[in-house]
Amino acid sequence: MRALFQFLNNVLGATAHNLKANRQVFLVSVATITVALSILGLFLLVFSNLKSMMSTWDRQVQLIVYLDDDVSEDQKSKLRALFEGHPEVEEVAFTSREEAWENFRHSFSGGADFIQDLDFNPLPGSFHMRFKSSPDRLDKIKDFAQVLNKQPGVESLEYGEKWVARFEKFMIFIQVFLLAVGGLLCLGLILIISNTIKLSYYSRQDEIELMRLIGATNRYIRTPFLLEGVCVGFFGAVASLALLKAMHYYIQLRFQESLDFLTRGVVIQFLPFSWSVSMVVVSMAVGLMGSYYSIHQFLESGDRQ
Amino acid sequence: MIQLFNVFKSYGGVSPALDGVTLTIHKGDFVYLTGPSGAGKTTLLKILFRRERLDRGQVLVHGFNVGKLDDSRLYQLRRKIGVVFQDYKLLPRKTVFQNVAFAQEVIGVDRKTVKAHTWQALKEVGLTQKRNAYPPELSGGEQQRVAIARALVNRPSILLADEPTGNLDPAMAAEILALFEQANRNGVTVVLATHNQELLRAGRYPVITLNRGRVVES
Ligand SMILES: Nc1ncnc2c1ncn2[C@@H]1O[C@H](COP(=O)(O)OP(=O)(O)OP(=O)(O)O)[C@@H](O)[C@H]1O
Ligand SMILES: [Mg+2]
Repeated sequence: MRALFQFLNNVLGATAHNLKANRQVFLVSVATITVALSILGLFLLVFSNLKSMMSTWDRQVQLIVYLDDDVSEDQKSKLRALFEGHPEVEEVAFTSREEAWENFRHSFSGGADFIQDLDFNPLPGSFHMRFKSSPDRLDKIKDFAQVLNKQPGVESLEYGEKWVARFEKFMIFIQVFLLAVGGLLCLGLILIISNTIKLSYYSRQDEIELMRLIGATNRYIRTPFLLEGVCVGFFGAVASLALLKAMHYYIQLRFQESLDFLTRGVVIQFLPFSWSVSMVVVSMAVGLMGSYYSIHQFLESGDRQ
Repeated sequence: MIQLFNVFKSYGGVSPALDGVTLTIHKGDFVYLTGPSGAGKTTLLKILFRRERLDRGQVLVHGFNVGKLDDSRLYQLRRKIGVVFQDYKLLPRKTVFQNVAFAQEVIGVDRKTVKAHTWQALKEVGLTQKRNAYPPELSGGEQQRVAIARALVNRPSILLADEPTGNLDPAMAAEILALFEQANRNGVTVVLATHNQELLRAGRYPVITLNRGRVVES
């Protein structure tokens, strides 16, 4: 226990020493990571906001089945059974002709008088169905519509907000795109960090050689470098989050109002907390991999050094 | 303590640096290693703490089979051996005190002990007043003494020194030798590679002479 504490104490001291001695290279690579992660973070910011808007729009994806005016109760209950039996249907709501008329009049109250004066009900009864969220929801709705079209008692069908379903496909594309960009970026960052660590290693080569000759373990030699990589990742990620937060604040201040028509009242959110944490963790992991990659090469070269 | 049997080492040149060296050095011995330039003295020392790998033969040091020693256990061998390098290998940006302390820190000695032992080691070589100086500010003899303090501070069982009196005047050389003798009296096995005829002629210790990688007399 004491030995472990001693080990940590020495290793942390060595890491701090490295960072100080190697300040310039360290800051440059932190800055590089900050910029790279900020770009990725901006994408993520847009993506996370689209996603949360999606979930509000999502409620509007529905299939509306208008019924014949002379539909029988029997036909109605058959249709309802059909809807409720469909595995993708999440919710079915029935609106009778009277309710439709009431709603209609209500939303136009104070409006044109001729509507209030109408003495017959022109509106059909309808079923509204919401479907479970899935990437090929639109296809499923279409398929189902084909079936329904031929059912007795059905007058016509309508998809609400077809584009939302299309947009969902687009979101999937964005997700794949982000994953690819993120993956490539991480790869690049690993190389950058491994290079940083390499420089740090070279700048202390004499010391390391001596440590080896005196009998320091490989782990003792390696750990400060690994921590250095982790630190680069950590500070880079934190700095990029700070930068993103500042940008987010600025965007909100400047553009929230003009974007309202797009966002339909949804406030532009910052990255969810879990995403921010993930960014930091991933960045630290990237730092670790980068430094491991370079330090591995040196220590593999055996004891000749 | 140290046993070599038919050790062969080549750097790829025309003739090997060590060519069938067989010798034994017992625990607590003090021996000189000598021979003309290029005879293989440094190479021999390097093989003992496996700074260099041997090509053929057997090397036993403090119970370690050096030729077959796994990399992951190399540090255990090296902790048994203190080395005074020909070029000292002091870290120029650390003070004298930090240089000696460093040797203990890197093998995980706790802070208090480091302080006490460093102080003790510097006292033994008579450098306590210079503890805050940096190596480039020291004379050759002083640097040599720092290197000795560092080599001894972890209480090794074997002390290897390569040309420790190389560029020192006779008085200083005698002082340095006294330090090695002191260590030897404390039970450390000492192997000292040198050209210094004065030391050799004093005749107090056995001499191993190498020539072109072979042991000439023992
Ligand atoms: N790293 C190396 N690469 C190639 N050849 C080497 C290397 N080190 C030593 N040699 C060669 O091996 C031979 C023995 O060298 P070594 O340094 O052991 O001699 P030495 O007895 O210590 O000489 P000196 O008294 O000059 O220090 C020499 O011929 C030298 O040129
Ligand atoms: Mg030599």
